[in-house]
Amino acid sequence: MSETVQTRRTRRWAGSSVAWLVLGLVAVVALALGAARSSEARTPEERIDAIAKTLKCPVCPGESLYESRNNVSVNLKAEIARQVRAGQTDDEIRAGIVTRYGDSVLLVPRAQGVDAIVWVLPVVVLVASVAALVVVFRRWRREGATAAPTEADRALVADALAAEPREGTT
Amino acid sequence: MNGALGMAGIALGLAASLLGAFTLVLAAVQRRPRLMRSGVLYVWLVLGGAVLAVVAMERALITRDFSLAYVAEVGSTRTPALYNVASLWSSLDGSILLWTFILALYVVATRLWFRARLTDPLVTWALVVLLVIAAFFFLLLAGPANPFSRVSGAVPTDGPGPNPLLQNHPLMVVHPPMLYLGYVGFSVPFAFAIGGLITGRVGEGWLLDTRRWTLFAWGFLSVGIVLGAWWSYEVLGWGGVWGWDPVENASLLPWLTGTAFIHSVLVQERRGMLRVWNLSLLAATFCLTILGTFLTRSGVLESVHAFSDGPIGVYLLTFFALAAGTSIALIGWRGDRLRSPGTIDSPLSREAAFLANSALLALFAFVVLLGTVFPLVVEALQDRRLSVGRPFFDRMTTPLGLALLTLMAIAPVLPWRKASTELLRTRLFWPACFGVACLVIPVLMGAEGVAPLLAFGLGGFAAGSAVRQLVLATRRQGVRGLLGRANGGMIVHLGIIVIAVALAAQSSYQRAGEFRLSPGETATFGGHRFTLVEQVTEETDAVRAIKARIRIDDGVVHAPARQQFLARGDIIPTPSVRTGLTEDIYLTLVKPATADDPTVTFGVRLMPLSLWLWIGGSLVAAGTVLAAFPGRGRRRPTDPVSAPVPSAAATPPSDRPSDDPADDSDLVGVPRLGSADV
Amino acid sequence: MSEVLEQADPPAADEPRPRRVAPIVAIAVAIVVGLFVAVAAVVKGGDKDTAETPLLGQPAPVVETTTIDGSPFDLASRRGSWVVLNFFSTWCRPCVEEHPELVRFANGQASQLGGAELYSVIFNDDPGEVERFFAEQGGDWPKLVDPDGRVQVAFGVAKSPETWIIDPDGVVRARVISAVSADTLGGLLAELQAGVPPGP
Repeated sequence: MSETVQTRRTRRWAGSSVAWLVLGLVAVVALALGAARSSEARTPEERIDAIAKTLKCPVCPGESLYESRNNVSVNLKAEIARQVRAGQTDDEIRAGIVTRYGDSVLLVPRAQGVDAIVWVLPVVVLVASVAALVVVFRRWRREGATAAPTEADRALVADALAAEPREGTT
Repeated sequence: MNGALGMAGIALGLAASLLGAFTLVLAAVQRRPRLMRSGVLYVWLVLGGAVLAVVAMERALITRDFSLAYVAEVGSTRTPALYNVASLWSSLDGSILLWTFILALYVVATRLWFRARLTDPLVTWALVVLLVIAAFFFLLLAGPANPFSRVSGAVPTDGPGPNPLLQNHPLMVVHPPMLYLGYVGFSVPFAFAIGGLITGRVGEGWLLDTRRWTLFAWGFLSVGIVLGAWWSYEVLGWGGVWGWDPVENASLLPWLTGTAFIHSVLVQERRGMLRVWNLSLLAATFCLTILGTFLTRSGVLESVHAFSDGPIGVYLLTFFALAAGTSIALIGWRGDRLRSPGTIDSPLSREAAFLANSALLALFAFVVLLGTVFPLVVEALQDRRLSVGRPFFDRMTTPLGLALLTLMAIAPVLPWRKASTELLRTRLFWPACFGVACLVIPVLMGAEGVAPLLAFGLGGFAAGSAVRQLVLATRRQGVRGLLGRANGGMIVHLGIIVIAVALAAQSSYQRAGEFRLSPGETATFGGHRFTLVEQVTEETDAVRAIKARIRIDDGVVHAPARQQFLARGDIIPTPSVRTGLTEDIYLTLVKPATADDPTVTFGVRLMPLSLWLWIGGSLVAAGTVLAAFPGRGRRRPTDPVSAPVPSAAATPPSDRPSDDPADDSDLVGVPRLGSADV
Repeated sequence: MSEVLEQADPPAADEPRPRRVAPIVAIAVAIVVGLFVAVAAVVKGGDKDTAETPLLGQPAPVVETTTIDGSPFDLASRRGSWVVLNFFSTWCRPCVEEHPELVRFANGQASQLGGAELYSVIFNDDPGEVERFFAEQGGDWPKLVDPDGRVQVAFGVAKSPETWIIDPDGVVRARVISAVSADTLGGLLAELQAGVPPGP
């Protein structure tokens, strides 16, 4: 007897707002820890890798400097390493290489000018679709509200249900 | 001889598909059932033509008939037999031949599957569309992609063989056919959609008839994509599984819209809603397969998978415009008549979840498409070259992926029509606990980074939800609780979740190092010891390989290599992978020892959870197969929800489910009253 | 009951006013797709390497390295004469084919007063191989080693062969990204020396 009371209590607690709140807190704390760890200062190797991932190998199609083992890529990575140690910023290093090897080695489209369209357009589409969904849902709710079943409708359904042979439970 | 045979096959296929299409159009427009039946005979000729062409080409490859330009380009006396056969699809013309062959198989399969309904105008129009598509591909084979053209000049005595990257791994043999079975398979539901639009019969009937086809095609496409990723990993040398390369994106785009379709089609089935949206998704999926083919074969975008360019681009682009234009015109014409009076009552309902799923996947596809074609647009408008690479795609698709994981967690527990938050709170609690555990444990182990941690947490949440559904189903029905659309779907979800989590782990937590050792020396990295044993050079007829034999942890010896394919002269790096349950050790040979310098430089990458990518892929495949089975005692989906289930009388009332009206794995005839009966 | 679902299909006569949304959306989508097709039809794929460089007209980058036999080389010390830098590798076929032309060019310059100095920069190759090549094929001008690629990166060279011309003030005047012949290179040099800006 007390067992069923116990399980019922657990069940009641399990879905309760308090339990969810606790879960949420734990999750947020864990995430915050993870975020804090990743925002610590980066080692030079990590900086070099990060920059190399944003630049394309000029010779091999489709590989970034980080991935490519081509001679040209290796030399470019060495250059990046030299500049990182010399204290240049990420943007300066990237800009230097891009001006010398051409725009197409930059894998991350810039945030200005025509290039920025590729960043902005998805956001615009997202906002537009959310707005469209909101509008459509409102319209549906309105239509649903105005289409409440009448007495005649209920009678119709009751007749149909009564007419069909039912097997099993209600 | 081979050339003549092949050309004859192509000519036969082209003629038969054109004549067949014309006959069936006539039959459909004039409503002549006898003509519909006889017109259908043409599909056999189409298949005959395709078979003839494929047999001729394989014969040419196997006998090394270098009088054909294609064989001279990709064949070689030194290629092993298996890869020689597979070189049918290793280059442009042959790949079109493979496509045409699979399409012909699908056309015949359609004719056989619907043999009871050949006089139905809907089926007739669908066959017309399929034959038109077949005609186009035969036209390609006859014209710009002719694999049977003769070599110009003297007949060479040997060839270079296929691209070395395509012949050093058996996955090469399997990946393209799987992928094509998927790609091409989407032509069938598309054909029925067009047929439905033309005949005006877009009720639920055609939808159900083609449901298994869509699932079949989708399953193969999924497997094809995973195999491609696996092949990339094993062969390409930098340990990546996905590079957002235009060819990869071309295969992903129809997969995304196809996934959106198979979900939102359930809303159409249950509520009769979203018909226009579903038709658009289906049309988009097919058009994307053609667009993808154009992007990868026309040479307008550079890619690791470089195929040659040529006039084929114009043909493919024209066909794309035709297919897209026809679909848009038909949907625009019929669209308003299709709209159903149904509504979605609440944003917290299964219909709404499927709608959100569609929207997210469509946005995902939009982002990938935009990133892939943006360089093209900029080049056309401003005449400068621009690259859109991995950083863009990763940054844009990660939030979408996380949102999809969240949806995967919530949607399975949502009932149709309406849910209360109370319901959600109760049902989702234990999955949420599991999700938080999946988040906390890595953090305790030292993980960092918000995106991968979110992936773990949400993945755990979604997995908990899917497992909950499966547990409920198996508790009720035993092993049969794993069969059927909903349960198979849950297993597919689990597979996707495992892939997502493995991707997050592998990309965020991999470590790389490079070491220069002399024979006998040892380096330690990441808790493992790497001892260079020796460097050997192995030479066979086809390949000269320089291998560095490296012993890992005083155990097995792995040998990353640099292979030179003697027929072509290319040298390609060949990685060696030690697979483990928690991580893979990925070795590459960077600089072999030379006469002057006996040290060997090799790279080591530690990739966590790589194996789980392939385990996840197998789950997806298994789930798809299970989903194709009918559940127990299904009533027809077009019956109203309150109709009795044929076998429902056999089960005693106490076994009836009473706590999960949202679960429809066996569609028992319990009236759905929304949240009222929790 | 299943007829109820099918009856929803044909437009009922008593339906108030079906919104004409579909044609509008269809036209909008058609326009976007049409624009895309137009763009895709116009674009030409393939390699479009350009000889443009931000270094034209700018002081040449620092080149401090050694020759194959170990003697030091500094580009700045060559001020006062025209310098031609050629990026070369033995494994690149156009470089090998270009080589005899360079030999002719070097001989021509050597016989002139104030002729240009030709230097080869070894591009991702083994110095031993290069030395053997030159021993067989001729060419006695200095070959510069570039072990970690500093020179190639400083100039932004991704493929060989490339030829650069630097004037006596140390300013970069020309860049050629294809293989050269003695005549084209000589002609280009002559134009620059005469003060005529090189043609397009």
